[in-house]
Amino acid sequence: MTAATQRSAAGASRTTSIVNDAFVRGVFYQLLTAAILVGGLWYLVSNTIENLSQRGMAAGFDFLGYSAGFNIVFTLIPYREGDSYLRVFQVGIANTLLVAAIGIVLATAIGLVMGLARLSTNWLIRNLARWYVEVLRNTPLLLQIIAWYFGFFNLLPVPRQSIEWGGTFFLNNRGFYFPAPVPQDGFGWTGVALGLGIVAAVAIHRWARRRLEATGRSFPSVLVGTGLVVLLPTATFLLTGSPLAWDIPALRGFNFRGGLSVPPTFCALIVALSIYTSCFIAEIVRAGIQSVSHGQTEAARALGVKPARIMRFVILPQALRVIVPPLISQYLNLTKNSSLAIAIGFPDLVSVWMNTSLNQSGRAIPIVAMTMGFYCAVSLTVSLLMNLYNRRVQITER
Amino acid sequence: MKKSLTLLGAASVLFAMTGADAGAQQTLAQVKQRGALNCQVGLPTPGFYALSADGKWSGLDVDMCRAVAAAIFDDPDKVRYQSVTSAVRFTSLANGESDMLSRTTTWTAVRDSQLGLEFVGVNFYDGQGFLVPKASGIKSARELDGATVCVLTGTTTELNLADYFRANNMRLQAVTNENVNVLVETYLGGGCDAYTNDKSGLAARRSAFPTPDDHVILPETISKEPLGPVVRHGDQNWGDIVRWVLMGLIEAEELGVNSRNLDEMLKSDNPNIKRLLGVEGNIGQGMGLTNDFMVRVIRHLGNYGELYERHVGANTPVGIPREESLNALWTKGGLMYAMPFR
Amino acid sequence: MPDESRLATADRPLVFAPKPSRAPPSSAIGPIAWMRANLFSSVSNALLTLLGAYIVIVVFAAIINWALVDAVWEASNRRECLDKVGRAGACWPGVIAWIPNLLYGLYPKDQVWRINAAFLMLVVWALPLWLPGVRSKLAIGLSAVLLYPFPASYFFHGGEQDLLWTALIALGLAAFAWVWLTTFSERFTGLSFGAFVARVTGDAEQPEESARLRARIGYAVLYLAALALAAQWSLSEVPTRYWGGLFLTLVISGIGITFSLPAGVMLALGRRSHMPFISLCSTAFIELFRSVPLITILFMFNTMLPLFLPVGVEVNRLVRAIVAVCLFAAAYMAEIVRGGLQAILRGQYEAAAAVGLGFWQSTALVIMPQALRIMIPTIVGNFIGLFKDTTLVSIIGLFDLLSMARAVGEDTTWLGLFLEPFFFITLIYFVFCFLMSQYSLNLERRLGAGQRR
Repeated sequence: MTAATQRSAAGASRTTSIVNDAFVRGVFYQLLTAAILVGGLWYLVSNTIENLSQRGMAAGFDFLGYSAGFNIVFTLIPYREGDSYLRVFQVGIANTLLVAAIGIVLATAIGLVMGLARLSTNWLIRNLARWYVEVLRNTPLLLQIIAWYFGFFNLLPVPRQSIEWGGTFFLNNRGFYFPAPVPQDGFGWTGVALGLGIVAAVAIHRWARRRLEATGRSFPSVLVGTGLVVLLPTATFLLTGSPLAWDIPALRGFNFRGGLSVPPTFCALIVALSIYTSCFIAEIVRAGIQSVSHGQTEAARALGVKPARIMRFVILPQALRVIVPPLISQYLNLTKNSSLAIAIGFPDLVSVWMNTSLNQSGRAIPIVAMTMGFYCAVSLTVSLLMNLYNRRVQITER
Repeated sequence: MKKSLTLLGAASVLFAMTGADAGAQQTLAQVKQRGALNCQVGLPTPGFYALSADGKWSGLDVDMCRAVAAAIFDDPDKVRYQSVTSAVRFTSLANGESDMLSRTTTWTAVRDSQLGLEFVGVNFYDGQGFLVPKASGIKSARELDGATVCVLTGTTTELNLADYFRANNMRLQAVTNENVNVLVETYLGGGCDAYTNDKSGLAARRSAFPTPDDHVILPETISKEPLGPVVRHGDQNWGDIVRWVLMGLIEAEELGVNSRNLDEMLKSDNPNIKRLLGVEGNIGQGMGLTNDFMVRVIRHLGNYGELYERHVGANTPVGIPREESLNALWTKGGLMYAMPFR
Repeated sequence: MPDESRLATADRPLVFAPKPSRAPPSSAIGPIAWMRANLFSSVSNALLTLLGAYIVIVVFAAIINWALVDAVWEASNRRECLDKVGRAGACWPGVIAWIPNLLYGLYPKDQVWRINAAFLMLVVWALPLWLPGVRSKLAIGLSAVLLYPFPASYFFHGGEQDLLWTALIALGLAAFAWVWLTTFSERFTGLSFGAFVARVTGDAEQPEESARLRARIGYAVLYLAALALAAQWSLSEVPTRYWGGLFLTLVISGIGITFSLPAGVMLALGRRSHMPFISLCSTAFIELFRSVPLITILFMFNTMLPLFLPVGVEVNRLVRAIVAVCLFAAAYMAEIVRGGLQAILRGQYEAAAAVGLGFWQSTALVIMPQALRIMIPTIVGNFIGLFKDTTLVSIIGLFDLLSMARAVGEDTTWLGLFLEPFFFITLIYFVFCFLMSQYSLNLERRLGAGQRR
C-alpha cells in the first residue's frame, strides 16, 4: 500500500468505523496470514511424523556417518569407496562449485564476444551471432548437454589415437589429460612473491586513482600492476632454481595415468552450460550497451574524449549498472542448471547426492533438505552481495 | 485478532481430525477400495517392463503386477503402472504412492532392513557381467585393471563394480549414467572399454549393436542379483499376498499346472494341486483373498514357466535360455523353489 | 543535353528538370559491393567471415549428412537400419512409428481426436484477438484464459460430470459461443453482442432499462443452451497417467504460464507491501523457490508431498508436478514483475492517489499496465524458460516429450535408438520456443517498449 493511500485511509478512520482503518486492517491481514501459515505448517509436520512412524522410514542424519561404498567418477577433493556419506555430500558440493566457477568464467567470456558480435558491422558475423543465440537459447539445456556429449566428446578418438599437443596435453574420449604441477622445496617463495605482487598492484591502483581524482593526471596502473603480478613471481621462481616438477600423463594399459584429467562428461557439461548461458549473457551485454543513450557518446566526443576513454569512463559505468544485476542472476541460473549433469552422469551434487546416495540410503527427507539447503545458501549469499552492489550504484530518485 | 485466533483453533482441529481418520487403512483394503493396484515398474526395459509403440506394458515384472491384480480382482488389467526412475523407487514405495514394486530390484540386507522395505521373494536370479569388444582381446574380467567401465548409476551394479575392482586390487574408471542407452552409445563410441550390467540385459543389448559378433560377454559373474517384488515394511498381510502369488506361480509350474490344462487340473486328485487351486483348504481366505486366487492368476497369465518363456525366454528378443540356469526349477538344477502350499 | 527547356523564355517559364542520376560505380552496388561492405571491410573482418563460414559449413554438413543424406527412411526394425548404414546415418522409421506416442503419450489412440479438438478450440477461441474491428479483445482474451480450461479439461479427461462441473463446462462453452457471436456482431454491426441482441429484439426508442434486460435474457438463453449441450456431452474417462508426450508438455507449461502471471503479480505486490509480515512471507517464498533448482522442487513435491499429507490421501502425480512448476514459475514471475514495478516512477503512484484511486484501483488501472508492458520481453523469456524446464518432469516419472523419446530406445523393436528421437524432440522444442520469442519481439516492436536511437 502506498504511503499516500495509507494516510488518506488513516485520516478517514477517525470519523468512520474501525473496519476501514488501514492500520487495523493491516494487522488483521498479517495475523490472518500468520495463522494460516502456522496452521498449515503444523498440519504438514504432524502428518509427516505420523507417516514416518507408521511406515518405518528412518529420517535422521545418522546415515551421514555410514560408508557409501560406491565409486565417484570425478572428485575434486580426495574420496575413496569406503568414505562416509558426509564425504559424498562434500564431494558433490566441490564438484558443483567447480563446474559453476569454470562455467561462469567461460560463459562470461563467450557471452561478451557474442554480445559484441551481435553489434558487429560484419553481416555474416552479426547473423551468425544472432542465430547462435536464437538456436541455443530456444532448446532445452538438458538436450544440449546430451548433444555435446554425443555430438562431440564421445566422438573423440580412443586413448591410443589421442589428439596431443607436444606430448603433454592429451584429448580423447576418456577425457582431457594435462600435466600436474608437483611443487618441490622452495616453491613457497614463489607463492609469497605472487602475494606481494598482488598487494603492490592493488596499492598502486588505489594511489593512481586517488591521484587521478585529485590532479587529473593519469597513471598506467593496470599495466604496471599486471607487470608486478606476473614478473615478481616469475623472477622469484627462476632465482630459486625453478622448484616445480611436472607429472606428465602417459598411456599405460587402457588409459592415461598420471597428471590431471577431467572426464568427457565434465567437458560436455562445462561446454553446454557456458554456451547456453552465454546466449543470455550476450543479450544482456547487447541490451546494456544499447541502453546507454547515444547522446552520451556524442557529448563525450564533443568534449574531445578519446574513443577508448569514452568506452571506459562514459559507456561502461552506465552499461554495467544495467548489465550486472541480470548477469548475476544468470550466474545463479548456471549454478542451478549444473544440476542437469544428471543427464550425462557427471557427479555433481544433485547427481551424486540426490540420485545415487538417496537411492543407496533411502533417506529422502534429510537428503532433499540438505541439497536444497546448499543451493539456498549459495543463492542467498549472492543475493546479499548483489543488494549491496545495487545500493551502491542505484540512481537515487528524489 | 480474536477472529484469527478462533480461525487458527478451528483450522487445527479440522486438520487433526482428517489426519487421524485415514490412519489405520491396510494396503489390501486400499487397493480394493481404489479398484486398482498401484504397481511400480521402472523406466521401460525390454523383457521385464517393456513399453511398446502401442502404449502397452509387458514383461516378466509387469506380469508379476498383473498376477497380483488377477488374484485380488480376477482381472489382470486392474493395474496402474507407475514408471519412475530408480532414484525415487524406494521413496515412492515408502511414502505410500505405490502398493508394490516389481522392477528388477536386488534383495540386499540394507534395503530389507533399513529402508522400510520388505522383499517377498525372487522372481529372477541374475548376476552381473561384462561386455567387451572382441578386438580388445580381453578374455577375463581380471584383465580390466585400469579400464574405463560404463555402469548404470543408483543400482547395486554400481556398488558391485566398485567392490570387484577393490577386491582384486584393480584401478577403476567408471562412466555412470541412469540411462542404459546413453551408456551403450558411449560404449559403442569407444568411451569405455567395457560395459557392465546384469547379464540378463547384456545379451539383449548386444543384439541391438551394429555388429553383435564383435562383442563378447566375459565368463565372470561378479555378483549375486536376486531380483524380486518388494512391498512396504509393516503390512504383513499385504506382503503375504504378494509372496504367495509368486510362490503359487512357481508351485504351479512344479506341479505341471498351466493355463491350458487348468480345467483338467481342477479335477485332479493330487492334494498339492487341490490346495494350490483352492479346491481344498482356505489358504486364500486366510490372506483376505478368495480361495481360488491361484486359479485366477493361472487362468489369466499361466505359471512361472509360461511367464518366463513369454517375456525373457530363448525365443524372445531378450533371449535368456532357462535350462541349466539359476532360474530353472529346483527339480531341474535351478533355484526356483516354492515353499509348500499347505 | 543542353536543350532549350533550360532557358527561360516569355512563354515558357523556367522548369526544374533534373537529369537522370548516374548509375553508381560498380564498387558501390551489387553483391560484390555488398560483400565488401558487410563481409570483407577489413582484414580482420575478412578472416572472421572465412572462419564463420567454415564453422557453418562443417557443422551443417555433418548434421545434414547424418540426418538426411545417410539416413534410413524405411525399415521395420532397428536391425535393418543398422545393416544398411550402421551408425553413420539416422534411423527415422523408429521415430516415425513412435510419433503418435511422442505427441500424445499413452493416450488411447481412438481418443486422440479429443486433444486435437481441444487445441483447435483454443486456436479458434483466440483467433478474434488478431482480427481487426473487434473491440472486446480484453474480454475475449480473459475468457480464453479463465474459461477455456473447463471445456478443455473435459476434452482431455472426460468421465463423469457432477453438477458443478457441468455448470462450469457450460460456462466455458457459452463463453466460446459468445466470443464468436461478439466477433461477428462487432465486425458487421459495430455493436457489442448485448447491444446487438437488444437491437434485434426491440426497437431502439425503448428505454435503456428494457434494452439491458433483453441483453441479459440473450446471455441467459446462451448459457442455458450451453448447459443443455454440456449435460448431453459425454466422453469416456482417460486418467492422467495415460497423458504424455508433447500434449503433456503443453498442458504442464500452459497451466504453469497461466498461473504464474497472476500469482507472480500478487507475490510481487506482497513483497513490496508495507505490512512487514506479509512482505517477509512473500520474500521468503520468492527467495526459497528461486534459489533452488527446479529439479529439487519437483523431487520434493513428488516424493515428499505424500509424506506431508494424511495417510491414504492420494494426490495425482501430474497434479503434484503441476503444483511444483506453478510455484516455481510464480516465484520467478514475481521478481520480473517487481523489476517492472521498480521502473515506475513514484509520480505515477502519487498521481493515482491524487485522483482518489485506492490501492487496488491504482495498481490495476495505473501501475500494472505500465509495469507489465515494460516487462513483456522478460515475461515471454520466462515463459520460454518454463516451457523448456518442463523437460525435468521426466525425472519424476511423468511421460512427457523427453521420457517418450527415451522410451523409443527401450522398445524391443527399436532397441538402442537414442539419438534420433532426441534430435526430433529438440526440433519440436526449438520450433515452439523460437515462435514464442519471435512473437515477443514483434509485440515489443509494436508496443514501442524499447528505446530506439
